Amino acid sequence: MTDNEPPAPAASPALVLDGVRKRYGDKQAVDGISLTVERGEFFGVLGPNGAGKTTLVEIMEGLRRADAGSVSVLGSSPWPRNLALLPRMGVQTQTSAFFTRLTAREHLATVAALYGSDPAGVARTLALVGLSEQRNVRVDVLSGGQRQRLAIASALVHGPELIFLDEPTAALDPQARRALWQVLRALKSEGRTIVYTTHHLDEAEALCDRVAIIVAGRVVALDSPDRLVGAAQAPTRLLVPAGRLTVERARAFAGADRVTAEGGSVVIETRSAGPLLAALGADVGLDGIRTRTATLEDVYLELTGELAGTEQHA
Amino acid sequence: MSAYTALTRASYRASVRDRTTVFFTFAFPLIFLVVFGLIFRGKTVEQSGRGYIDYIAPGVLSWGVGNAAVFGVAFTLMQWRRDDLLRLIRLTPAPLGSVLASRYVIALAIGAVQAVLFIGVALLPLFGLHVDATWPWALPVLVSGITAFLAIGMVIGSRADTPEAVAAVANCVMVPMAFLSGAFYPLDAMPSWLRTASKVLPLHYLNDGISRAVSGRADLASTAVACGGLALFALVFGAIAVKTFRWSNAS
Repeated sequence: MTDNEPPAPAASPALVLDGVRKRYGDKQAVDGISLTVERGEFFGVLGPNGAGKTTLVEIMEGLRRADAGSVSVLGSSPWPRNLALLPRMGVQTQTSAFFTRLTAREHLATVAALYGSDPAGVARTLALVGLSEQRNVRVDVLSGGQRQRLAIASALVHGPELIFLDEPTAALDPQARRALWQVLRALKSEGRTIVYTTHHLDEAEALCDRVAIIVAGRVVALDSPDRLVGAAQAPTRLLVPAGRLTVERARAFAGADRVTAEGGSVVIETRSAGPLLAALGADVGLDGIRTRTATLEDVYLELTGELAGTEQHA
Repeated sequence: MSAYTALTRASYRASVRDRTTVFFTFAFPLIFLVVFGLIFRGKTVEQSGRGYIDYIAPGVLSWGVGNAAVFGVAFTLMQWRRDDLLRLIRLTPAPLGSVLASRYVIALAIGAVQAVLFIGVALLPLFGLHVDATWPWALPVLVSGITAFLAIGMVIGSRADTPEAVAAVANCVMVPMAFLSGAFYPLDAMPSWLRTASKVLPLHYLNDGISRAVSGRADLASTAVACGGLALFALVFGAIAVKTFRWSNAS
């Protein structure tokens, strides 16, 4: 970002969608979505494959035109191709979208030039995504994870205010994934807005301020991961080592809704974990007892399973 | 670095780092020149009394230049769209004009190098081409020709979605044209109806313009006819290319 850029009015949100619809043939891909993403927010778009996430994000990016409804990105309309808006947005590219036979550095330098941004951003961004050592490696011989990081770098090289990431950690190993979390948190702390889609719900829970769960082109849940988990009132699971307690005895405890034996543990599902834990502690001792609280994944599976019904495939 | 400079540099690097492309752009048409040159060495065309090489050298040059322009832009456009590079460019503020201008400059540079190379080889005593002092008339014809064939390549690249489709369509267009327009076989030795029919082919104007320039039969009027014909093709196919251009394969 340049110094002479006028300060953005703090009041205007990064994204405002109102009643957005998009139809392909007889499939209603986006079926009336309204949502607002504030500046500096880390916003997750979740949903099963084919739920309309990609279409929705492409409408936000200005790649597709909504059939109905209004879209405002950083205060202006992304459609038709908005040359003033584009440099303020960064979009993670497909991992195929690299200039043929260039090196990682040359590719990113080309992207920076297309944005008309400072060439100094190239080396800095390569370092940020951990590709400094591969800067002179041709894009066609980069590994899957390296290609993914270069695709993310393409979204960051010009220092955009609003960043769109599409399953950014899908091809990354656990170390690289955690390293990218740090990068994303740092971007957020600089005040940038991040909109991202993912199938990693643990990641969405760890990173996102708010998530929208999309099923069949509609928003079925929109809140912070904590509040979604809290509102779902999914049971807590207590895992007691099998030798300490039998299934029958466990069923006798007040608040034990459901008891099963699973892989060396007696698993007690409960909606009153506190009192039950206290009772268990007095009886068999708390040592070795593990607690699994509900996660965003439980909420997600409940919402998507319920609504998508039998259309859910592995 | 401007978007235009960056794209030109990227295209240039992609071209020179691929030996197959370099071969097919420069060496492949040269093979035709050598083969035809040796077969018809020292022979003259009965109808005009001029040496075969005076027909073949400009003919192969025209075809080589046209072929490189068509294939170069068609492959690039198909590949950039398939790999979502056009989508990437679409998301930057780079004007579409700079994307096209960079391809245009690359095509002109390739055409210039081809022309120097082919004429240089044809001038060897073995083939015995004579280049007349009117050769500079060939330059505007070359530029118009590259423009026309670039436009044809853009139409092919906008419609074809696979390398196989690009090769099939481009070959269907370029190979018959090589014979029907007199590039590979002297028009003067063909039946008169074919000579008339060849006037609907862009390669005819490119070939005729260059052939006249190197053999001393060119003047302002003949060059204007060649350039005008090619400009018309460029306009028609350019308009179709604008209509058929797609940023991505997904509609």
